[in-house]
Amino acid sequence: MTDLEPATRDAVAELLLTLADDEFVLGFWDSEWTGIAPMLEEDVATSSIAQDEIGHARAWFELLAELTDDDPDRIAFGRAPEAYRHAALMNHPRTDWAFTVARRFLYETADAVRLEALAGSSHAGIAGLATKMRREETYHLLHWNAWMRRLAEGGPDTRTRLKDALARLWSDAESVFSPLAGEPALLAGGILPESLADLRGRWIERVDAELGSLGLARPTSEAGPPSDGRTARTDDFRWLWGEFTSVARSEAGATW
Amino acid sequence: MADRVWEVFQQAAEGDPMVHGGSVSAPDEELALHYAREFYGRRQESVRLWVVPRDAILELDDPDLLQPPFDRSHKRPGGYVIKHKLEAARQRAGTSGTDGGGEGIE
Repeated sequence: MTDLEPATRDAVAELLLTLADDEFVLGFWDSEWTGIAPMLEEDVATSSIAQDEIGHARAWFELLAELTDDDPDRIAFGRAPEAYRHAALMNHPRTDWAFTVARRFLYETADAVRLEALAGSSHAGIAGLATKMRREETYHLLHWNAWMRRLAEGGPDTRTRLKDALARLWSDAESVFSPLAGEPALLAGGILPESLADLRGRWIERVDAELGSLGLARPTSEAGPPSDGRTARTDDFRWLWGEFTSVARSEAGATW
Repeated sequence: MADRVWEVFQQAAEGDPMVHGGSVSAPDEELALHYAREFYGRRQESVRLWVVPRDAILELDDPDLLQPPFDRSHKRPGGYVIKHKLEAARQRAGTSGTDGGGEGIE
């Protein structure tokens, strides 16, 4: 990996940071359901999935740290809130169960498309991790699709909450495919086998198919993925950042 | 939510017997499988799970049928218990050997 051109190396580092931060931040938001999910079994399932995501984030952070000769914990916990590169979809707080299910569905569908592409990456480290993660993410997607159906068919209240959540999240969900500065370099080297615009198209097809089967219409936005989709931060995220870095910040440089 | 209870059986390795692991509560078949996986399969401890609705299980626990009052030891694969008869016969014959007598026929 040290033989990468500096421009390519920076592009790979940017891509890895987006992959890691998406999983990391979503994992923290969803871990908030531990102890308060709608039923005990779901409490365990949601918490377990949230933990899977933190595990995936760890794997991406380690690959990034190897590339940039850094420390994975420093990257995970040692950055200012503005230096995180997760999609704006993960700027929102946990909110209610329908909101969590809607966000999960939008994200897992996008992540599935992205991991499928990355499994064919020319970068062996990325391809290897994407291939392993796809096996776990397949189950995540099944689980959240099952909940989409339960809420869509659970009566007027749950259906309305689900529709409202989808409408509120849609434009920020697009930001999973917001352009990256290094995308041309990633595409040229086959590190990213397909453009983010193509991946977004495939994501929308799948979202349409799933929502169509539930009799729900996809919210639309004229704009598409916003250019600041991975840099805009919110007070909700700054609060979460304060929480998940509080222990690491309590003794800077400590060995845990 | 009208949850059903599902009994979960797990197999630790291919060829092993299915062993009852415990139960989960779930509103439908799909979530029952997901929860069974979370509780009995996410740590690589199982290669197969069977998830069965508890109300599909036929139960028999009638002591008249399962614990009949008469000695039915002759119906067991080992047949009659003859340990004590053997011991008495050996004593009459004056041979020791209370050890090892009647093995396999208890």
